[in-house]
Amino acid sequence: MNEYDVVVVGAGCAGPAAAKKAAELGLSVLLLEKSQVPGEKNVSGTCLNGAAILDPDLHYIVEGPVERTIREMRTFHINEDRTTIFHEIPSEGILLLSVRRDHFDSWHTEQAKKAGAEVKLSTTVVDIIEEDGYVKGVVTDDGTKYYGKVVIDAGGVNSIVGRKADLIPKRKGYNMILYVTVCVHLGEEIINERFGDCIEYYLSPGIQHKTWPWIFPKKKTVTVGTGGYMDEHLINDEFPNVNKYMENFLNLPIVKKKLEGGKIASWGLHLEYDEAIEKRVKNGLILTGEAGGFVIPFLGEGMPEAFFTGMYAAQAAAKAIEENNFSEEKLAETYEELISDNFFMQAFRHIAAVNKEAILSKSDEEITYMMQNVIMGGGFISNAIHTKWMKGLEDEDMELIQEAYDFMELIQPYAKVDPDFENLYNERRRK
Amino acid sequence: MKVEMKVDYYPGDTGEFIKVIEENCTGCGDCAKFCTRDVWEADGSIYRPVNLKQCVECGACWNVCEFDAVIFEEPKGGTGVRFSYG
Repeated sequence: MNEYDVVVVGAGCAGPAAAKKAAELGLSVLLLEKSQVPGEKNVSGTCLNGAAILDPDLHYIVEGPVERTIREMRTFHINEDRTTIFHEIPSEGILLLSVRRDHFDSWHTEQAKKAGAEVKLSTTVVDIIEEDGYVKGVVTDDGTKYYGKVVIDAGGVNSIVGRKADLIPKRKGYNMILYVTVCVHLGEEIINERFGDCIEYYLSPGIQHKTWPWIFPKKKTVTVGTGGYMDEHLINDEFPNVNKYMENFLNLPIVKKKLEGGKIASWGLHLEYDEAIEKRVKNGLILTGEAGGFVIPFLGEGMPEAFFTGMYAAQAAAKAIEENNFSEEKLAETYEELISDNFFMQAFRHIAAVNKEAILSKSDEEITYMMQNVIMGGGFISNAIHTKWMKGLEDEDMELIQEAYDFMELIQPYAKVDPDFENLYNERRRK
Repeated sequence: MKVEMKVDYYPGDTGEFIKVIEENCTGCGDCAKFCTRDVWEADGSIYRPVNLKQCVECGACWNVCEFDAVIFEEPKGGTGVRFSYG
């Protein structure tokens, strides 16, 4: 019989985390993935945030296939008359881990398998099974039915499960970011020389539409990404598709020079949903990762959110199974409590909210100028603080200035990388 | 550097995972406008996903369609687009 405690749909970031955790908690688990190799249908920023991985639940992540340890960040703000470059070295430690999703997701799925989860690849879920107001399982493309006491949806931004369950809204075009990536092969030596262990963000009119173009170095390649909000201005005569933003980005003189001699090894395209989904839980079903709207494309955050929510969904499922109660209320109780206790996730939501307010109302020229004048260095966190600070000055509102100051204090542990992460990395990699 | 859309595909028939609901389609062309891979083409007063083999499964067409005229499902297991480097 195809009956499990938990059926997990999707082996991206959230799915393997959910399946591994559920198996470790003693549950019988089935993990379904549509691609032949986990990660081969994924496109993302491919840098894992060290601040998130410091959470003991995620320590195992550093044992995965890492392309490069990222220790520095540069931000380029380029206008016609001025180029400013902020070079941040938050500490001597590791800031991010750069990965390849095809390698990383495969490794992660293997960890779920080792923990006891059953994995079926090349298996597309086409429908959910609903009985008596409860989601009881899923149907795959060959007509097979798999039953789970709890179904965990980790099917990504356009998840079939979430849509069939009416949790992912039908129309969301204008809350979405469409972005394109190219992976440029340069060879390890040249990357060490031109980029080192440093990620780069760029802002310049014509290379993005209200987003943040980036270059992330891997071992022998760099991933370049840009795109924009899918509003009525994204596509027009000058920009017939998102590749045009990429072309302008690649041809910025400073970028052109850095990528000289490089060859495009691969191209990718992805949509992200930039608005929290109203409801992530239904009787017998939990949405995680991008399917649950746990992604902040505005800040380039999503993979740690997926790991966390995958694991929390598994914990919520375990608790529900223990009490034999799979109701929406029961599942939501544990799930939402774990999420609201996660400081990393809450802090990033706060930063995104403050930034979006300030940025989406401005043109790309204005944003570039604004970022050039940020008083405390570049970056999103600084901007979040700066926006409140400036608004406080403008309105002569001391409370806002105090809030900005409090927030700056609050994020200190995350503004610099804890040397613990370096230690954790070295210790775990020795294994 | 020119943007070269270097994409791989798994072999095998994906099935018709994108379809148009003809009676809902108003011919506004948003599906084609937001498609980076030129999957959609005008056919008289409506649009059709003619070049499905070029699709990279981003879902932009389904997401932007204001008239619920796009059916966007998944390719059959183990088929469709295959990205490397992620």
